[in-house]
Amino acid sequence: MSSIGTGYDLSVTTFSPDGRVFQIEYAAKAVDNSGTVIGIKCKDGIVLGVEKLIPSKMMLPGSNRRIHAVHRHSGMAVAGLAADGRQIVARAKSEATNYDSVYGDPIPVKELADRVASYVHLCTLYWWLRPFGCGVILGGYDRDGPQLYMVEPSGVSYRYFGAAIGKGRQAAKTEIEKLKLQDLTCRKAVIEVAKISIYGVHDEAKDKDFELEMSWVCDESNRQHEKVPEELLEEAKAAAKLALEEMDAD
Amino acid sequence: MDQVDFNAPHSMGTTIIGVTYNGGVVLGADSRTSTGVYVANRASDKITKLTDNVYVCRSGSAADSQVVSDYVRYFLHQHTRIQLGQPATVKVAANLVRLLAYNNKNNLQTGLIVGGWDKYEGGQIYGVPLGGTIVQQPFAIGGSGSSYLYGFFDQAWKEGMTQDEAEELVKKAVSLAIARDGASGGVVRTVIINSEGVTRNFYPGDQLPIWHDELESHNSLLDILGAPEPMNI
Amino acid sequence: MFRNQYDTDVTTWAPAGRLFQVEYAMEAVKQGSAAIGLRSKTHVVLACVNKANSELSSHQKKIFKVDDHIGVAIAGLTADGRVLSRYMRSECINYNYTYESPLPVGRLVVQLADKAQWQVCTQRSWKRPYGVGLLVAGLDESGAHLYYNCPSGNYFEYQAFAIGSRSQAAKTYLERKFNNFTASSREDLIKDALIATRESLQGEKLKSSVCTIAVVGVGEPFHILDQETVQQLIDTFEIVREEEIAPADPEPAAEQGAAADQGGTENQGGAENQGGSPMDI
Repeated sequence: MSSIGTGYDLSVTTFSPDGRVFQIEYAAKAVDNSGTVIGIKCKDGIVLGVEKLIPSKMMLPGSNRRIHAVHRHSGMAVAGLAADGRQIVARAKSEATNYDSVYGDPIPVKELADRVASYVHLCTLYWWLRPFGCGVILGGYDRDGPQLYMVEPSGVSYRYFGAAIGKGRQAAKTEIEKLKLQDLTCRKAVIEVAKISIYGVHDEAKDKDFELEMSWVCDESNRQHEKVPEELLEEAKAAAKLALEEMDAD
Repeated sequence: MDQVDFNAPHSMGTTIIGVTYNGGVVLGADSRTSTGVYVANRASDKITKLTDNVYVCRSGSAADSQVVSDYVRYFLHQHTRIQLGQPATVKVAANLVRLLAYNNKNNLQTGLIVGGWDKYEGGQIYGVPLGGTIVQQPFAIGGSGSSYLYGFFDQAWKEGMTQDEAEELVKKAVSLAIARDGASGGVVRTVIINSEGVTRNFYPGDQLPIWHDELESHNSLLDILGAPEPMNI
Repeated sequence: MFRNQYDTDVTTWAPAGRLFQVEYAMEAVKQGSAAIGLRSKTHVVLACVNKANSELSSHQKKIFKVDDHIGVAIAGLTADGRVLSRYMRSECINYNYTYESPLPVGRLVVQLADKAQWQVCTQRSWKRPYGVGLLVAGLDESGAHLYYNCPSGNYFEYQAFAIGSRSQAAKTYLERKFNNFTASSREDLIKDALIATRESLQGEKLKSSVCTIAVVGVGEPFHILDQETVQQLIDTFEIVREEEIAPADPEPAAEQGAAADQGGTENQGGAENQGGSPMDI
């Protein structure tokens, strides 16, 4: 890497001669090494899925969650340093409650994404802070329908039909592109996301154990951000495992 | 007789009304602003614009209610950015009114009625009385004149009125209150807000219905007494 | 010892997306003597190895009571651990004052992790990440809990876990048995805690003077067992152990332990080998 040893990559407040801020790029690497996080927008809502790698088999299932609720109608999935993610989620929550108490209305997803992005960006501006080592996918439902945003460590945020970050993002994106998102319902999408996470992306050779964590905000969940119902999650996992076996058989 | 104190704060011993109908809202108000017993303005406009589609009826201290509406107008302008340039909803406007009224309740002497129309929830009326509560209501009445109107509204307000019925109701109610309440008077102003936009109407005092044993309005005492005969020597 | 130019600041990312200062802080946990925790449905037991600095000194206290329903065992910088347990105590008291009910364990560990996270995120010359790992044992409405909080600001809930120096042997033992812990009785739990502690002693004889045991559970506020009780328990269990172990060949067990030890080293030092950040686990 040409950046190493130049001295231009030691502080977030230093530009390199060709106009890059290496510290932000390094922070993004932490995200690229994490378990894959997927979000897709369907015709009736948003589905978020996380391939949560498990460091020890003695860890309890459901511990160390990577999908968090922000307010009633939106949730966040975190890739990268989970501890950094908690801070972003805390900020998002306080922005949402603050908006609600000022305007008496739930915060629009776009506004929420903007505010979260500003906060993330803030940490790239001062020498005594470091950029967040995590990217978040934000899914929400407001008056203008379901929306999906992704905020990166640099503080940029874009709106997506489907987004993926983490180790398996390339493979996941390829798979998402194959889906017909306009016609897909969230119920079907849950199964698709499980398939992508389990056989599309998860590298069994490198990462031993993982837990599939999923949530949605859709018409079926009454536009509320909720965990995907247990039986549907099990069904999705089973379908994905079956697909994996079929693949292996071929 | 006591001296009239012209330095007393201007206050709107008022009658204000907001009514929903099938398709929008009608806001109504009298036009008297008093300084103690002195009528400081007999044709004031107590229905103030907050955004294109939301208006507020003001009662109590003229100064306080103006300041609150000015601030809310300013905040709503900021909010338009959030909504990608779309107008703010009635609910958001009313909530900002509430926020200011509540946070400064110890220094404010004003009751407001917010009314308007938006594409999400149609016509809505919110009452924000003295302490800073916010209540969404099918109709709301306020000001000193409203005491005389509760029974009337319980009897006369109907769900799903037409625009004309609603405006007629408002006009009638304000004129009734003017007849009984010494602090209300002057003309009746109405503002109608619906999907089409905003219509303002003005009803001069001499075109209002007459109640009880009220006298017809006259331009001059001379009309009653008749022109004096030319003096004959 | 000196590794590179990216490892002196908490605010500096290394090119591979790692924060060395945080990783080093996590190394500090491994320097401390071992702490072990395990839980059943109704009880949590904490155990630790006491190490005295010299023949003339006593050992540092490594298990602290936080509240009637919560206690911690620490490994790493004891001073940091005491700061954090004092923080936890005051959080418990404040919560109890406000709500007249005990602070749920899951809430406390999040607050603790957030506190650790702030140290990691902002850098001032007088701030550094905490160099201590905490095993938080507690009992609340939702049952018994065991959490591990580490310097990176991460926290995990475990059925059983061990941290600190030579904890791998204890971990290996626990990994073999943890599936049965849910149904374990209080006594079985203590026994497993003692055996796991012995594993991490690496041949040194298990005596009440080298270990501390604490229990919290249904109908039993968090308390540290006194030395006589511990010695009695050791005596009782050692006999059992002889009976159990004697017929079996001890060699395979040792081998297994060693094998897992290697695996564990890879796991712990995963950062170095895989290039991934150990904090995102």
